[in-house]
Amino acid sequence: MALVYHQHEVVIVGAGGAGLMAALALRGRDVAVLSKLHPVRSHTGAAQGGIGAALGNMEEDHWEWHMFDTVKGSDYLADQDAVEILAREAVETVMDLEHWGLPFSRTPEGKIAQRKFGGHTKEYGKEAVRRSCYAADRTGHMILQTCYQQGIRHQVKYYNEYMVVELLVESGRTAGVVAVSIADGQLHVFHAKAVLFATGGFGRMYEVTSNAHALTGDGVAVAWQAGVPIEDMEFFQFHPTGIYRLGILITEGARGEGGKLLNGKGERFMERYAPSMLDLAPRDIISRCIYRELREGRGIHGQGYVHLDLTHLGAKVIHEKLPDITDFVRTYLGIDPVKEPIPVQPTAHYAMGGIPTDMWGRVVVDEKNKILPGFYAAGECACVSVHGANRLGTNSLVDILVFGRRAGRDIARYVGENEYPPLAPHAGEATGERLARLREGRNGSGGRAESVADLRETLQREMMEKASVFRTSGLLAQMSEKLFELRQRFQNVVIQDRSTVFNTDLMEALELGFLLDVAEATVAAALARSESRGAHFREDFPQRDDQNWLKHSLAYRGADGKIEFKYKPVTITRFEPKERKY
Amino acid sequence: MAELTAAGGRTRPAGKLELYAWLFMRVSGVVLLFLALGHLAIMHLLEGVDKINFAFVAGRWSNPLWRFYDWFLLALALVHGFNGVRVMVDDYVRRPGLRVFSLVMLWVLTLVFLVAGTLVIVLFQVPVGG
Amino acid sequence: MHIRLRVKRFEAGKDREPYWSEYGLEVEATDRVLDALHRVKWHQDGTLTFRRSCAHGVCGSDAMLINGRNRLACKVLIRDVGDHIAVEPLRGYPVIRDLVVDQSAFFRKYESVQPYLVADGEPPARERRQSPAERERFDDTTKCILCMACTTSCPVFWPNPEYVGPAAIVNAHRFLFDSRDTEKEGRLARLNAGDGVWRCRTIFNCVEACPREINITRAIGEVKKALLLQKG
Repeated sequence: MALVYHQHEVVIVGAGGAGLMAALALRGRDVAVLSKLHPVRSHTGAAQGGIGAALGNMEEDHWEWHMFDTVKGSDYLADQDAVEILAREAVETVMDLEHWGLPFSRTPEGKIAQRKFGGHTKEYGKEAVRRSCYAADRTGHMILQTCYQQGIRHQVKYYNEYMVVELLVESGRTAGVVAVSIADGQLHVFHAKAVLFATGGFGRMYEVTSNAHALTGDGVAVAWQAGVPIEDMEFFQFHPTGIYRLGILITEGARGEGGKLLNGKGERFMERYAPSMLDLAPRDIISRCIYRELREGRGIHGQGYVHLDLTHLGAKVIHEKLPDITDFVRTYLGIDPVKEPIPVQPTAHYAMGGIPTDMWGRVVVDEKNKILPGFYAAGECACVSVHGANRLGTNSLVDILVFGRRAGRDIARYVGENEYPPLAPHAGEATGERLARLREGRNGSGGRAESVADLRETLQREMMEKASVFRTSGLLAQMSEKLFELRQRFQNVVIQDRSTVFNTDLMEALELGFLLDVAEATVAAALARSESRGAHFREDFPQRDDQNWLKHSLAYRGADGKIEFKYKPVTITRFEPKERKY
Repeated sequence: MAELTAAGGRTRPAGKLELYAWLFMRVSGVVLLFLALGHLAIMHLLEGVDKINFAFVAGRWSNPLWRFYDWFLLALALVHGFNGVRVMVDDYVRRPGLRVFSLVMLWVLTLVFLVAGTLVIVLFQVPVGG
Repeated sequence: MHIRLRVKRFEAGKDREPYWSEYGLEVEATDRVLDALHRVKWHQDGTLTFRRSCAHGVCGSDAMLINGRNRLACKVLIRDVGDHIAVEPLRGYPVIRDLVVDQSAFFRKYESVQPYLVADGEPPARERRQSPAERERFDDTTKCILCMACTTSCPVFWPNPEYVGPAAIVNAHRFLFDSRDTEKEGRLARLNAGDGVWRCRTIFNCVEACPREINITRAIGEVKKALLLQKG
């Protein structure tokens, strides 16, 4: 099939909060927004709890406190100059959202309402502060809708259900992307001056996750394949309260409203682990505590879950402040949270690591922050790094909007100053061949035919067992071997669907390839880091080791598939690393 | 004003017709309820159907108020019914030819019954002697 | 438990008519219908095609007819529908493949009601004030996830694709009753047109279909009332 060529000054891949904010910052320019879904289906819409900003509407608050909480929450791995920007610009970002019409919940005086959230404190850690600005328990839904609506207003150009499979780099400059339009299987080459990846995370590496099926690390893997290193892949956050077995998220906001975690003995076990913040301690800490309780046999009826108890909050609070999670729990468990506690377990939730960028969203390709001209990244797929080793709740929504907009602004400057780069004469053809072989079942090397689903299920199960909350060198090494085996078997994957029309079988095969990429980087990075920090916990190295490990990892993929590491220093400005206690 | 859309429907400009038609259906519906119940009460409960004959009707219609009542019930029911069928044709009859035919038939039938009914009530002469 | 799952199949450009495929499989009563579809696709028939993403009822990707009613496949449990399940694509829009329909006309309708806040004048330095009561006024219609279940369940929409449809009206309502919006007249004018709100015959299919439990017919009624009070 012949390739279709397009030329746009800017190509944005991903139409969630980060991609849409960048598109809005670029309004009036020649921009194409590509999404493998329809924009309103993006995972930003699943975010529940709120967006953190030091508005000070309910009590005194300052961006410096927000910055401190974020740095401490990151276990001091976040780059503090970037965190300062996050905390400062959060306030104006929330105001902009409100001006665009976002229906925030309100205080009696009519101001934006705020609630407590894990890890957010006043006076540098004294006690919990109300910093999370929320719209009932569907803040992410409202943010995605509001940004999409503004996109309609400003006539943003969308290419919906286009899946990007390759990043084009020509003579050290970004030249565009190659994408397949899912509806007809046609391959498209987008020639551009600048490309922004805002493709989200990769929770689908794991068996129990809050993430949508679409979150398979496409952008991160495609960048990695193009030679860009990826940063801090060992840090993957497990959110403490996912619905048992389903992984569906129950917002931290439930604990912000007063919900408690109870073990099989009815104890509020967080009293033992985090006496000051209790159930509002940061997520990585609570997830580990839950796992410990479960390992020591204190799960409910000895099973693999604990209880999230909202029964003391009363029907009024639950129905007004937490209507959506009430619906989830009723639909999927047949439980009324007003009357019964909710069975929860940690669920794979957020990737702190990703494509390394500077504070303007420009992708850097080495430890000295050398920029790859024309390539940008923002949102969960990027690593600025503002979340370091662990992300605080409500900070992702701030991150995607603040850095999505900043990337958009810098792209505007960049395309104004630069011409189109040359495009390689046969750009995209090799990829087209590869896809055609896969679709037509001609890709095998003669070994036993493998199914995408079997390989993926094995990957997810093994990663959950061997590379999730508690890690050891033994388990990680086993996982590494398993990944090697899966990669070999992946060469012989055969799909059943031969059609060019909306071939989701082919999509899932490509997505599995991306998942293998990010899983390999994650496991290698986890093996390399012999300390525990934030969400990365090594039972064989349970202490934090600032002397040797206060640095960001950069994973490089060699031509032979071997992964090597370089390390980037952490930028420290205001807050010297201290022990992280709550 | 009579331009057709791709699906064969008429796109009417923004105007007051549909708004008032909608309101009319609701108001006339309630009024008809009372008129019809009243009619039922008179014919079945107070008099009894076996007592209805020419003389009975003539007797009622010697009082102009009853003539008006019956005319009003007839006219309102016809217009209410007309609008209801108009709306159904508008929703479900897409083919231009069939659409025109249906609406013409609807108008004709409604007007015929309205005129005929009005004439009957207005021109009826109570025979001398009761 | 064992279930029988029938799915209506069709590929644009290849099939002249849709046909049914039947699958037998083992599931738990608490599995979602989406889980059953996945199990078929992943272990029996890789050609089965459907949209999905979040799998918990917030993204709106997987609206379809399940045993004759518009539902989200990820919100319906097997125990809600029993062991004989029939799944079809939404009505009223062209089928691209199996359970995937062409969404573009639906989103054009959405765009036609100006679904973004229009607020005259310079915005204040901080947030515009809005009381909790004002916020509550339009809370219901903020819940819409644009899943298409309501519009494609409307018997007025089926023969009249130009009817603006319940989803578009709901999203217009969300702005009409938002105290910060200043574009009431323009929005109402669009909805007053022949293919606007007056086509609603209060059939209530939309209310039944909505997975977010939005009281759509009531919202449409409120828009009608707003038009009435404006003109009358």
